[in-house]
Order: sequence, then structure tokens, then C-alpha cells
Amino acid sequence: MSGLALVSINHVYNGRSVLRDVSLLTQPGEVVALVGPSGSGKSTLAAIAADVLTPDSGRILRSYRRHGMVFQQSRLLPWESARGNIAFPLVLDGMARADAFERAAEVAAAVALLPSDLEKMPDQLSGGMRARVAIARALAVAPDFLIFDEPFAALDPALRRRMQDLVIHLSATFEFGGLFITHDLTEAARIADRIAVLDRKGEGILGSLKPEGRPGTRSEAAIYAFVQHETATNPLLADLMNVDERALTYDDACDTSGPRRCC
Amino acid sequence: MRAMTRTIGAQLDRLRVAPEELVETGLVLLGRWLLRVVPGLLGVALFLGLWHLGHLSYGQFILPSPVQTLQAILRVLSSAEGWGLITATIARVAMALTTAVMVGVGLGLAAGYVTFLRRMFAPLATILLGMPATAWVILTMIWFGPSHGSIMFTITLVTTPMLYLGTVDAVLTRDRKLEDMAAAFGARAWQRFTRVALRQILATLAPVSGITLALGFKVAIMAELVANVAGLGGALARARANMDIDMALAYVALTVAALLAVEYGMIRPFQRRVGQWKRGGAL
Repeated sequence: MSGLALVSINHVYNGRSVLRDVSLLTQPGEVVALVGPSGSGKSTLAAIAADVLTPDSGRILRSYRRHGMVFQQSRLLPWESARGNIAFPLVLDGMARADAFERAAEVAAAVALLPSDLEKMPDQLSGGMRARVAIARALAVAPDFLIFDEPFAALDPALRRRMQDLVIHLSATFEFGGLFITHDLTEAARIADRIAVLDRKGEGILGSLKPEGRPGTRSEAAIYAFVQHETATNPLLADLMNVDERALTYDDACDTSGPRRCC
Repeated sequence: MRAMTRTIGAQLDRLRVAPEELVETGLVLLGRWLLRVVPGLLGVALFLGLWHLGHLSYGQFILPSPVQTLQAILRVLSSAEGWGLITATIARVAMALTTAVMVGVGLGLAAGYVTFLRRMFAPLATILLGMPATAWVILTMIWFGPSHGSIMFTITLVTTPMLYLGTVDAVLTRDRKLEDMAAAFGARAWQRFTRVALRQILATLAPVSGITLALGFKVAIMAELVANVAGLGGALARARANMDIDMALAYVALTVAALLAVEYGMIRPFQRRVGQWKRGGAL
């Protein structure tokens, strides 16, 4: 079954504790959104879940066959066409290029990419199209668990919503569980079965929220009401709504690519 | 002919493109091609015009005309000895650059990934890069005598630091997020290097390869000239000794032609293959 258990995860980078005693469990087939303010260690936890980063201590129990991952800003290979990008994980697995391309065309159709889009290079694609390619790439390996690391943060609101609908639809069609990292509570409430809230300093999961119904069945009004109610009354979300980025020290800001790369 | 016309007509029918539209597209493409080619041709014409003006002002002894130089080039190219000189210089540059690529890129890759090596080689690279090529020519002549080996050694020493620093920079400036992406899909370290990092490193190195080739040729000519060893540089030294300005200019032109032949025959295709994605097809 497609669940993930992160048990007592601790991670220190450059002498600073990024995550301390973080435990998170996802039930089989459940999509859990992880919310938390910037610098709280969400992306670090996603990297640990995806086996990109090895934690200093803690256990990771993966009860799924294969995971896929969708990243912030898509992370497409700029020298490969959309087809080549989607086929990339399959080629890594040792699949023949022709077979990988055939499979790429199948999953591209699932995310509503046209055959003509597949020959385009990443710099010829719009933000939304790049997000679709990134999702198709994650689906290419037929995962039963998907990790999303703020995949739509750079998109405009209308496009973001279309992408969220796509994820909800794909999750129902392919029946994968997942971990969805976001700092947007509305996005979390639309996509996830459950919302876990990470402490602003990465010192554990503060608690969980469970919007009524399943993703895809909630009306916009219900999502809006849920977000309004929870942000106004739930103390778990105090840091998410009120965090002052100036209060974050330089050490708290996670830099994924620079010299202080930590996630 | 009639059958061919019919075939083309049938193909046009299949494409459903009106002949007028095809003509219009052809004219647009021709216009674009002319816009690309004409400025370059104008530049060449300007250069030749200024050269000819110089010839008219200073006379044949100081500056032969472009036509006289072309005649001298044809004389060199029509002799086996001339081809031997060209081959000798190109072969030296090729062998020396192969060594420089192996040493410079090899060490650059290692130093790019291992901070300790990078710090250890940093002063050495700075010193070697700062050494004038002429100094190496003199030193190698003292050490090895005026020989084939000393010229190759000089070219290798001058070009290796450039390739080393270019490679280190390419390793350090690669997009590591792409490697994380590959890791998330289960890529092992070697796969991440060969399928993700190396593509970026080669793309960054592509322009350096052109500069290194040009430098290799310049140093080869200079070293051959000073050492008076068979090659275009050696021939240039003899032409100077004989005050044969026609032949001197012919050898200079042949050096540039040899450089361009290698650049367009090997370096540009390499740059296009590994780096076009980075420059958006500008090559």
C-alpha cells in the first residue's frame, strides 16, 4: 500500500538544526499536505522523503512501490524536449529510449499535453505547460506515491487552480497517495485529504487539520469557509498566517542551490 | 522533366500549399539568409579594400596586394612541402590540445568536486595562467632545445590552465537542483554525473574550447617561429629572414585558414552538439 512514515527525523545543516524530531505518517492512498511558513524545513522534509537527502537520524518507512516527485519551478532538463524530459526517469531505469518515448506520449496525454507539445524545448513552454511536463515526468514511472514540493508556487492564481484540479483528477484516476508541500492553506484544503502543520522552526509537526469530504468533492465555498474559520480560530496556524520574514534569521532561510545548500 | 513536375505538383497538392504562398515563403527565407550573410560579406570586402589601399600607399615590398598574396598561397598549396608545413602545425596543435584536454579537464573535474584539490591547485593555476607564452617558449627551448617536443610542451602548458579553470567553473556553476531531481527518480551518483552534470559542464566548456584552440594555434606559430622548427611558424621565420613579404603574408593567411578549418570542422560542431540548448541556437 502506498503510505509513508517519517519517524523522528532530525537533520542538522552547518551546525543548525533544520528539522528536529519530526514524525509524519500518511495512510495508504491518502494525500497529505504539509504546510508551514518559509524556512520551516518543509522542502528539506520533502527531500528526505524523496531520498534526495539523508537525515542525520530518524527512520523512513516506505510502504509504496515507487515514488515520483514534482518540484518547484519544474526542474526540467533544458537540453531535452518535453518528450525527453518525461522519458528521463524511464531512461534512468534502463528502458530503451524508443519504449520510454512511447510511455512518455501516454502519460503526456493524461496531463492534456498535445503530441505537438512534446517536441518543444522547455524554454518554448509556458509555466503551466512546464508544470504539466513535470507532472507527466513524475507519472511516467507509474508511482503509487507522489511528492510535490510547492510545484505551483510560481504560477498565477488561475493557472495554479487548473493545476490543482489536474492533481486532484490524477490522484483519483491513478489512486496514488502523496505528500504535498505548500505554504498556501487554500491549495492544501483543495488538494489534500489531511493537512499537517510543521512548526516554524522545524521542531515537529504541530498537528493536523481535516477538511470535510474528499479532494474534488469540496465546493469552493466550503474550502473558503474552512480556510477562513481555521485561520481565524486555529492556533496551529498562527505562525503560518503571521510569520514575519524579518524575524527569520539568515540561518533559517533554506537555500537549495547556493553554498549553504540544505534541502 | 514533365514527370518530375507532376510529382512536385502532386506533393504540393498533398501539402495543400498554394504556389504563391510557397514563393512568398521562399522570398522571406531568401531575405533572412541575405540579412545573415550580407553583413559578413561587407566586412570581408571592407577588410580587403583597406588592405588594397594600404598596398597602393606603401607598395608591394611593404604590403603586397590581396591578389599577390592569393597567388603566393596557391604556390604554397600546390607544393607537397607547403602541405607538409600545414600538416606539421595542425598535428602539433592537435596532439598538444589532446594532452591539455586530458590533463586540464581531468584535473578540473576532480578539483570542481573536491574542495581540497581546488584550493591546492588554485595558486598553481594562477601562476601558470599568468606566465607569458613567450617565457615558456624560451624556457622550453633551453630545456629541450628547438624541437617538436618543446613546441608541443609549450602549447600544452599554455592551454592546460585555461581548460582547467574553465572546467572548475563549469562544475561549480552547474544547476545542482537538476541533480537532486534525478536523485529523486533514483539516479545513482554516476548517472547524475553522466546524464545531468556532464551535459552542463560540456555546455559551459564549449566556448572555452574555441578560445583554447585559437590560443593553441597562436602559441604554435610563435614557438615554431622562435625555435625555427618545420611548420607554418618556421616557414614564416624563413620568409622574414629572406624579406619575402608575399610568402610571409601567405603563411599568415594559411595559419588563419587552418585555424578556421579546425574550428568549423570540429569545434563548432562540438559546440553546437553540447551547448546549443544553452545559447538558444545562436551558434
